Amino acid sequence: MNDFSHRATWAYGSAMAALILFMYLPMITMALASFSRSKYFSFPVPKYSDKWYLEVFQSLSIRDFFWTSTVVAIAVACLSTVLAFFGALAFARYDWKGRRLFQKIILLPILFPQAVLGLALLLWFTALGITPSWQATVFAHLVWIAPIATLVIAIQVYSFDPAVEEAAYDLGASRWQVMREITLPLLAPGIFSGFTFAFLLSWANFPLSMLSSGADSTIPEWVSAKLQSGYTPQVPAVGTLTILAAAVVMAFGYQISAFMKRRQVKAG
Amino acid sequence: MTAATGDTASASSAPPPILQLRGVDKLFGEFPAVDRISLDIREGEFFTIVGPSGSGKTTMVRMLVGMDKPTNGDILLRGERINDVPANKRPTCMVFQSLALFPHRSVGQNIEFPLKIRGVKAASRKERALELMAQLRLPESYYGKGVSQCSGGERQRVALARALAFDPEILFFDEPLSALDYKLRKILEKELKDIHRETGKTFVYITHSLEEAMVMSDRIGVMNKGRFVQIGTPNEIYGNPSTRFVSEFMGEVNILEVGPGPDGTVIDQATGASYHAPPIADSFAGGSLVIRPEDIRFLDDTASPAANKLEGVVYNEYLLGSRVQYQVRVGDAQVFLVEKLREQQLASARGGRVTIAWDAKDSTIFPTARFAS
Repeated sequence: MNDFSHRATWAYGSAMAALILFMYLPMITMALASFSRSKYFSFPVPKYSDKWYLEVFQSLSIRDFFWTSTVVAIAVACLSTVLAFFGALAFARYDWKGRRLFQKIILLPILFPQAVLGLALLLWFTALGITPSWQATVFAHLVWIAPIATLVIAIQVYSFDPAVEEAAYDLGASRWQVMREITLPLLAPGIFSGFTFAFLLSWANFPLSMLSSGADSTIPEWVSAKLQSGYTPQVPAVGTLTILAAAVVMAFGYQISAFMKRRQVKAG
Repeated sequence: MTAATGDTASASSAPPPILQLRGVDKLFGEFPAVDRISLDIREGEFFTIVGPSGSGKTTMVRMLVGMDKPTNGDILLRGERINDVPANKRPTCMVFQSLALFPHRSVGQNIEFPLKIRGVKAASRKERALELMAQLRLPESYYGKGVSQCSGGERQRVALARALAFDPEILFFDEPLSALDYKLRKILEKELKDIHRETGKTFVYITHSLEEAMVMSDRIGVMNKGRFVQIGTPNEIYGNPSTRFVSEFMGEVNILEVGPGPDGTVIDQATGASYHAPPIADSFAGGSLVIRPEDIRFLDDTASPAANKLEGVVYNEYLLGSRVQYQVRVGDAQVFLVEKLREQQLASARGGRVTIAWDAKDSTIFPTARFAS
């Protein structure tokens, strides 16, 4: 019995290790490729160099792409968090006539292939005479990301007792005070993860950006273009930096949510 | 106000009603969850609305606190119509079934919430919170504690303290004790009654347990299908239930379907036996004869006189703490419930032949309503 459980643990452990290896090995490879001096990747890396990174940092065009990606991601994160906050209340908290339909419709954009969604949006932009630009990209991202953020926040909405809001109202609070004192603080962890999610999804999105951004390219677009023609190890260097940026956002988010949790436990 | 009929006239001696309902309806589509209710709640009384689930009591209390509006009728607080005054503008508040404590706030912050909303300064808020905590026997050290770290009974006390901090004119309760275990519930029922006496406030309590209502209330309103079937003191309700529903709701009772018999007796429609019963009207065409289990006795001597006597076999005995309950089978189909104090427990229980008896005055007759009750 003991022997069996020992072996089971061992098998489970190796399966997990293999899984992690398969998931993260490509990223490690990319990091290695970005530090390799030669233009084409070979393993083991014969000579390390940071020259691709220097080139990346010196490139004005890459700086532009980075800037576009950041602005788009921040705009998408802010807008979709606001939309998702109210969307989540409509989705999970209030009973209203079209609620069931709303719950289904909001899922559809998530399930659409993004290339199709992007194409549909592009056709609309053209029909309406809107020139593709980073603003159009923000809109395109919102169509896909706001529903996802809505679901993330809705999970938090489901986890709290609606009577808590009624009790606050009954104890004399105005609707606005209920929102500020009760609803917002209780939903804060969900709102925060919705925001982080939205930022990261927008940051990494390629198909919607490609079809909507026109001249304002984002980092994933630049990566894709360079892969098709004119590959240099700048590509893995930018890729590594992008992942690093996402990791920093995630770590930062984790710290903030841990802080919020600590404060809540302390206070209540 | 000519239409105000059939309500308790405000006698000069009785305190004036603090809350009045005048023909209050709440319709959900066609269905009346609350059906043309008129009621006076007196200043300072402990009034309990009791009824089974679906009887309309929660709908009713939601209208009384201002969470819902009545479809028809008026709700008056000290004579002023408050139908359209929302919950946050009414000088009343409620202890919710789920308690609805704010999970992200400490015990102290929960209690201080209504004061904070009113803009009371932090120092006097804290003073009041600690005062209430002392009154409700919550240790001072709980002030900064999270509500999630409190036990069920402590959470009840926090919810009550928060409601008292609001200083309501009427305090409503929506079955707050229903989730607790029996023993704790019994303790808190008595505490709540003490708090009622100490504060002198009007309490309106909702429950599905008539037993709970009996312990705490000055008056009880029994609700069924959106209407009050009886309103009275606990003694009146227990001693003189007005309908079969009320007597059944009070606990396990023996119910026999009877028809009119000769000389003021009634005939058991299942067995044809005839019983002496309280006086019945000439127009009596049939109804239910209700006998409480504790009103039936065992006769040692089958010859001794009694109004109603039946022979049967004990086939089950249940210990209910201080009391014992017997199921006595009479004939093939009838089972009588008999309850005795533990001291009066039968020597030979299961399978023993017994004679059960009851007096006419201990039974109640409820004529079948000509219309659905």
